[in-house]
Amino acid sequence: MSTSAKRVYGYLAEYESASALYKAAEKVRDAGFKKWDCYSPFPIHGLDNAMGMKRSILPYLVFCGGTLGLITGFTLAYTTQVVIYPTVVQAKPANIFTTAAFFPILFELTILLSGFTTLFGVLGLMGLPRLNHPLFASKQFKRVTDDAFFIAVEARDPNFNADATRELLEEAGGTNIELVEEED
Amino acid sequence: MAHFVTSKDIPADGEHIDKSKLAKPMMIFGGLAFVGLILSVYLLFFAGSYQEQSPSEAAAFITKPVADAPGGDIRGNYAYSWLFAFAYFVTLSFGGCFWLILHHVSNSGWGVSIRRLMENLATVFPWMAIIAIPFFFPQVQSKLFEWMNIHRETGFNYAAAKDAIGGGIFGSYAKDGLHASHDPHDHLLYVKYFYVNLNWWYVRMALYFVGLGGFVIWLKNKSVKQDTDDNPSAKSTLQLRYWAPAGLIMFGLSISFIAFDLLMALDYTWFSTMWGVCYFAGSVLNSMAVLILVLTWLRSKGYLKTVTSAEHYHIMGKLMFAFIVFWAYVNFSQFFLIWYANITEETRYFLLRNTEGWNVANIILVFGHFAVPFVFMLPHYMKRKPALACIFASYMLILHILDMYIIVIPERAPSLSTMNGFEPTLWFSGAFWGDILAFVTVGSFFMFILLRNLGKQSLYPNRDARILESANVSN
Repeated sequence: MSTSAKRVYGYLAEYESASALYKAAEKVRDAGFKKWDCYSPFPIHGLDNAMGMKRSILPYLVFCGGTLGLITGFTLAYTTQVVIYPTVVQAKPANIFTTAAFFPILFELTILLSGFTTLFGVLGLMGLPRLNHPLFASKQFKRVTDDAFFIAVEARDPNFNADATRELLEEAGGTNIELVEEED
Repeated sequence: MAHFVTSKDIPADGEHIDKSKLAKPMMIFGGLAFVGLILSVYLLFFAGSYQEQSPSEAAAFITKPVADAPGGDIRGNYAYSWLFAFAYFVTLSFGGCFWLILHHVSNSGWGVSIRRLMENLATVFPWMAIIAIPFFFPQVQSKLFEWMNIHRETGFNYAAAKDAIGGGIFGSYAKDGLHASHDPHDHLLYVKYFYVNLNWWYVRMALYFVGLGGFVIWLKNKSVKQDTDDNPSAKSTLQLRYWAPAGLIMFGLSISFIAFDLLMALDYTWFSTMWGVCYFAGSVLNSMAVLILVLTWLRSKGYLKTVTSAEHYHIMGKLMFAFIVFWAYVNFSQFFLIWYANITEETRYFLLRNTEGWNVANIILVFGHFAVPFVFMLPHYMKRKPALACIFASYMLILHILDMYIIVIPERAPSLSTMNGFEPTLWFSGAFWGDILAFVTVGSFFMFILLRNLGKQSLYPNRDARILESANVSN
């Protein structure tokens, strides 16, 4: 038994099917909650709309990453091949038109930096890696990787209310509603 | 999200386009095509040309140069215009075949509601055989394909030497004649004889249209029959899926070899292994643009609204975008290897197309056909909003004109001038009007057949088992 103080993380409610989860998500969204999430064993089409999620900023990050890679590649090729050490090969030009030879490098660097931005951007935006999640304190939550659908509403959401939120989740068809506490 | 489409929303006999809405555009396109075809037949076969023949040579379709201004060869000029227009519009229908066959091969559900549009676009392809008829005539061939002239002439001369007049008509004696010749170019043709010979060329050209054309007609008929089946079942869906892979092979062979036979053959000394796939990339990309435009046109008239949504635009836009990148990838691969290796036999194509004005056109193509659409098509709303998707689809179709123009037309002035015994010329200025005429004629013909196809049956396969899956697709 732990004697440390506990802090309320939020409510966890179980829903019986993907479509029940979808409909409940629409209700929670319409109630104006921002700090909450759906948990399901598999991806559900259109759930992000039902949750009222905004589009991720990741594509813009990736575009910037890719552009940076392209500029890096171009600068590298142009500086070495035109500015510092122009080499005439088979009477081909030693000016900007020689960069055709370096297109594979421009391409690869664009892809490389886009790939890196995607990977690290996605990890950063999701706050990964992390060692633990407060919901792991719930025993029933273990079924989320198997056959259960959950909605968790966090207590730090300004709309959160101990009674009203519980009522909302119940109204939306939630069962086994649990107040999850995390160790401080 | 829009309301969930159920089988109650799908009319029992599908949506049929109102014939009165089709009448006006069909009359305009049909009229233009009719007038254009008559003019074209005149320009291809009867207009002024600088080639005179003796009766025995005429019997063997041999053409001889006669000194005069090289730009005045109207028949020769127009033959290239016709090839350019044919190459452009046949790519669009070829792409329709590709998307249709791929849809069956990949067992796709998303596109069932626009599959009939693919079928209608694909079945324009067999009709394009009408536009291809002039290429079967030696009067047109002699202007376009130098190798045919050499085959006919050597075959004729060889036959004449052997006292077998007439034997050279279809180049039966050409192989022996080429072998006996001491010209190194003739030896090139002798080595290539197994593929580059007249009889086999005619057989191949017929096979493309009969084989692939017949196949897509079968695919469409099977699918249309399902619409009115008294006992609706998935039987024909499964049958179509079973046979479609054979069509994909046929498609790959047809589009690659038609590109070799009609476009690469403009200069028989030049070769590129990327040629078929370059042509394919432009074809697939732009037929998706056509599908987007046709879908938007039908939606603006109030059809297909229950079964298509922004999701379909998104998927089609993504496919178009993917092939913009693919087009750039294969075209750059072709250029890059030739540029890097710098071998005389291969560089000719790009040397000609980077001389003077053509260089500007080529640079416009690189930026206009790849860089600009790549950046602008990246955001998801460019694909999801029908108006924006249509702007880009039209833009790509216009750039595709430039792409085909750069493939065909630079050959015209140098070939015709040297063939007629003049100094090589880069550009015949008057011939440009012929290009426009040929483009409008073939384009009107293409549109007429497409609209005719659209009006014949329901606009989507309303009894396909996956029509609801397609109507409610989300991505």
